[in-house]
Amino acid sequence: MRHVLLAVLLAAAAALAAAFVTNDFYLRILFNICIYLLCASGMNVLLGFAGQKSLGQAGLFAAGAYGVALLTTSWDLGPWLALLLATGIAAACGVLIAAPSLRVRGPSLAMVTLAFGIVVEKLVTEASDIFGGAMGIYAIKPLTLNGDPLTMQQWVWLGILLCLGLHLLLRNLLTGRFGRAFLSLQADEIAAAAVGVSVHRYKVLAFVIAATTCGLAGALVAQQNQYINSDFITFNLSIFILLLVLFGGAGSLAGPVLGAVTLTLLSALLARWSWIEHFVQGALLLFALYAMPKGLAGVLAGLRRSGTSTAPRKAAEPDLQARLPTRPDDASPVAPLLTAQGVSKSYGGVRPARDIAALLTRGHIHALIGPNGAGKSTFINILSGVVRPDDGDIRFRDTPLGRISPHAICGLGVARTFQNLRLFRELSVQDNVLLGQHARMRNGFLASLLGLPASRREEAAARKRVTEILRFLGLSELAQQTAGSLPYGLQRRVELARALATEPYLLLLDEPAAGLNPQETAELGELLLRIREQGVTILLVEHHMDLVMAISDHVIVLDYGEKIAEGTPAQVQADARVTAAYLGVEEAPEAALELSLAGKP
Amino acid sequence: MLATYLQALVSGLAIGGIYALIALSFSITFTTTKTLNFAQGEFIGVGAFLGVTILYALSASGDAGSFAALSPAASGGFSYPVAAAVVGAVLGTLGILLFLAAIRPFAGKPGMSWVMSTIGFGIILQSLGLAVWGPAPVNMPSPFGDDVMRLGGAGVRPQEIVVLTVAVLLMVALDLVMRRTRMGKAMRAVAYSPQVAALMGINVTLVMAGAFALSSALAGIGGVLVAPVASASLFMGMGIALKAFSGAIMGGLDNPRGCIFGGFALGLLEAGVALWQAQWREIAIFALIILVLAIRPNGLFGARTLDKV
Amino acid sequence: MTGTFDFGSYRTGRRALGKAALGSLLASPALLGRKAWAQEVIKLGFNGDLSASPSAQSGRAAVVGIQAALEDLEKEGGVLGRRLSLTIRDDLSQPPKSIQNMSDLIDNEKVAAVLGPTNSGNALAWRHIPNQKRIPVMGCIGSATDITKPVRTGADNYMFRVGSVDRTQVVSLMAYAKKNPRTGKIGFLTETTGYGQGGLKDLQEVAEAQGLTAVASEKFNVNDTDMTSQLAKLRSAGVETALVWAQGTPIGQLMRSMDKIGYFPIVLTSWAADNLSFINASGPQLAEKPIFLRTVSEDRTPHQQAFFDRIRPRLDADSAFSFAVHGYDGTMLLARAMQQAGSTDGASVRAALEDLRGTLQGYAKTYERPFSKTEHEALTAADQRWTCWRNGKLAAFSDDVVAGLQPGDFKG
Repeated sequence: MRHVLLAVLLAAAAALAAAFVTNDFYLRILFNICIYLLCASGMNVLLGFAGQKSLGQAGLFAAGAYGVALLTTSWDLGPWLALLLATGIAAACGVLIAAPSLRVRGPSLAMVTLAFGIVVEKLVTEASDIFGGAMGIYAIKPLTLNGDPLTMQQWVWLGILLCLGLHLLLRNLLTGRFGRAFLSLQADEIAAAAVGVSVHRYKVLAFVIAATTCGLAGALVAQQNQYINSDFITFNLSIFILLLVLFGGAGSLAGPVLGAVTLTLLSALLARWSWIEHFVQGALLLFALYAMPKGLAGVLAGLRRSGTSTAPRKAAEPDLQARLPTRPDDASPVAPLLTAQGVSKSYGGVRPARDIAALLTRGHIHALIGPNGAGKSTFINILSGVVRPDDGDIRFRDTPLGRISPHAICGLGVARTFQNLRLFRELSVQDNVLLGQHARMRNGFLASLLGLPASRREEAAARKRVTEILRFLGLSELAQQTAGSLPYGLQRRVELARALATEPYLLLLDEPAAGLNPQETAELGELLLRIREQGVTILLVEHHMDLVMAISDHVIVLDYGEKIAEGTPAQVQADARVTAAYLGVEEAPEAALELSLAGKP
Repeated sequence: MLATYLQALVSGLAIGGIYALIALSFSITFTTTKTLNFAQGEFIGVGAFLGVTILYALSASGDAGSFAALSPAASGGFSYPVAAAVVGAVLGTLGILLFLAAIRPFAGKPGMSWVMSTIGFGIILQSLGLAVWGPAPVNMPSPFGDDVMRLGGAGVRPQEIVVLTVAVLLMVALDLVMRRTRMGKAMRAVAYSPQVAALMGINVTLVMAGAFALSSALAGIGGVLVAPVASASLFMGMGIALKAFSGAIMGGLDNPRGCIFGGFALGLLEAGVALWQAQWREIAIFALIILVLAIRPNGLFGARTLDKV
Repeated sequence: MTGTFDFGSYRTGRRALGKAALGSLLASPALLGRKAWAQEVIKLGFNGDLSASPSAQSGRAAVVGIQAALEDLEKEGGVLGRRLSLTIRDDLSQPPKSIQNMSDLIDNEKVAAVLGPTNSGNALAWRHIPNQKRIPVMGCIGSATDITKPVRTGADNYMFRVGSVDRTQVVSLMAYAKKNPRTGKIGFLTETTGYGQGGLKDLQEVAEAQGLTAVASEKFNVNDTDMTSQLAKLRSAGVETALVWAQGTPIGQLMRSMDKIGYFPIVLTSWAADNLSFINASGPQLAEKPIFLRTVSEDRTPHQQAFFDRIRPRLDADSAFSFAVHGYDGTMLLARAMQQAGSTDGASVRAALEDLRGTLQGYAKTYERPFSKTEHEALTAADQRWTCWRNGKLAAFSDDVVAGLQPGDFKG
């Protein structure tokens, strides 16, 4: 609430200042600050939260500006309606730019967005019959109040109002379920999907938000100036919008404000030495990132937080009274939870899964073992939707999983952890686990954006459940710590907490004991048994045979992508084929398994 | 009509040669460091101006005309190759500077901050260039004169043949270097895995700096090559670099030969679209890039990268 | 630039600019006692590209001319007994920057009049500001026809110009094309910038007014180096006279492409062909092909020559001289109007400009009632000089067609 109050006070102060300023130049600078703040706020969602670098925002600015220009001139619509529609057009263009961006990453993503910006820039330049080219479009209708065009002062007030509104809305959105989901995309798309975040939907949403605010800014510029031409739309503008966010502080709510205010003022101050201005912009791009990777907002936050106490580095004793949140399962307890038939996968000549069949029983701990390269991880990846099988039939609670995407599989009640830890390292432990709750929360976009009571209720409920899970695992003390800063063993446990937060029926664990010391491994065993008691079925891939043999109800052995044995631990230990698979010769199973254990890194 | 197509083919090959050369320069740094220089366009422009300055300095004694309008004599003899070599060396050094200032602090970290830092480096470089040379374009004479030669009805200038020949020679030479020499093998080792390369006793930082030196030198030489065709300007590089980048992405950034193919393909495509409607060229090309990437995210010849889970 | 590359002159030019900017900053009322200075100094503003695009050298030349005019006015004892100063803003040829600068000059610096800009598109982007705030603007570089048009017919218009006007030039060139017995079919070649597209609009309208139709109209980018495909289309359409609207470098590249495919129609171009960048790009032989119009002839009168010699060290290139002339004459006309109005009030100065008494001997011509309520162009068709390049230098162009042109031929 302090944040809201501060924002409202700031906006009110700016509006009041504008009321007393008679110099139009200062008003224009205020207006420019508002324009750039609008651009930066949306861009911050895309860049700072979802982590997508777009070098083509000028194209979306153009969509808004030319939208309003054409709607008010060629179509003769009213200025307010045109503003609304133009913003919508920009949003639609956001979908357009997002669609190809979904499949590409890194430099190729930069290229796609860059190319989009250039195509728009060239389009408004070359298609001069429609867009007026460099001669531009005149007589764009300005916004009116009671029939009179807005005065410069009124433009500033409108700008401030829009910025304040946008800021508060985005704050609602970004401090809850949606903000966390965007952040998870930036950190790790595969892990995001595994906790139930629809990567595609959230990427498109981030692009659309950035497009909407940029389009709104473009439309306002065109209407205020009553003229737009293709020289407004340049690569420089795209870069400047990026710089606003990076300099102000990407991923911080205050960042865009700081960036827009500082850079607009800087540009106005340097106007008389404009060639320096260009230079300064370059220097900021080069060195600001280096000197302050989190922008001005990061520097300020650093000043405030300079004296934090040392945080605990150890887990507390798990709270044995704590209960995991679970979903009711109305199916018969004897019906299998998951059945797999003839599952196969090949990469060229390598075939990590050949005709595998498996049956997982409710309330059991199943273990999947086998030598290196046996296809264990592949099988987990297939079950969790990360890898699509070439062939085979998998049914989970009678639902076929064949073509379902990872986030939807998570939604059905399959959770997983990863062999090589995929935590959202920059986020706090609590946020990591809250992300696990993502698919279980029901508040939609509008409810979150507007901060409706429903969304607050969902958030509060999720936090309560997360607190319970943290207690269950003994992580309560560490809730506010950055996940990446924890010792390895605790990171493993946080990942487990995150998976449990999705309230799964089936928990897939890919080598949960890898890298743990013997004591931690023993604790893990205890924990897994407690989780089973809560009614969660577990399938674990593991090389620590002591652990497997101690807690498993059922063991499946893979070798070269084929199932070579299954049964109770004792049955498997006695199986000659298993011994052969592990050592290549007939030997005592125990010795073989121990040898394989020693070979693990 | 045939002459028109032939003309387009010749034009496309000449400009495609430059695109391919610059595309290759992108590939060189990308394969070794997973980063590339978004200011390559400014490097091209600075290379061209530096070339003009060197030619001017070399010919200061004779009647070489003014800086902005060097007489053809200024490029005669060994002046032009010397200028190209010096530009290559200077820009190579600049490339190392770029690596140290804009790449090394960010390479390997998430978030691609190097995109912004190299753009910033380019803006600074362009500002300096504008302060020294001014914004007006200047002329660079071709070493083999400027008379149009006829090739089956199509007109070709000697410099266009120089561009194509030198570009192809450089690319073949680099291909051999990458495949045959110790240095090339070291670069490929770093490209495969910097950690493993370091364990094998390869100085990874040195190899990466070398990649940027080489890439920047190519950009500078590219500038010297096109300047006689396009006249040297600090703004000329942007368009070339963008299309070369597109060519590289289309061919697959991690595949040098794919990049060369992509560069030539783009040059020919550009000339082809111009036959239809010249002003829609850029729109057609960049729309195509978006389409290609949407269908094949790693380019036509790029290796499919698999996320290890 | 004759002789050698004049490295020094560019730098002094830049330094002079820096000094001027610094001077205007120091002279700004905020720093010194507001009242005393406000009464003494009349501030003029310049808003245009001085550093970012190739046309920046034209902007810098205009500033040189304006500063020369201020020096002369100072010697005469100022205007209304007050000194004049120039406040310079570089717009980097970016419209948003240009708009902000305009507001800075008018609202913040309280200038009495503005000169510029360099790029026509930027004038179109901000011309509503001086019209609203009633501050006269004297264009001296950008030549787009629309700049000086009133927002609505009959509305007070504060946009004036001493400089080339695309429309006027197009009318003359079209008249030449029509009169020339060798003309045959005509075709247009234009650049995709605001300059080129504004010119294309004029070309189309004037051609229609004179009863000509273009059989081909092709476009190219300002950075293009190969226009063979566009030219091939003109050739296959049978074009014998090409009218070209573009900046210097691309016209030069166009000539080279003509050379490539061996196609040489009669070429009539925009005045940008007088720019050094044109002949640098085309080379001296091909440069002799186009015919174009300038406001200042290369056969300089002694009066012009004296001015040329005076400001030459401060110019980036000889060919930019005409912009200095426009800047000089424009400033002088503004000063004269202020004198006549007896104040620096924008509305009065506009009224005085529209009804300027007496004659003023400028460097482009002798002005006699240069503007009226409806005419805001000081230089008209009669002030255009036919020009071409000969032996690497600009020269007056004349042939039977030029000699035979009658006032009645200039239609459109």
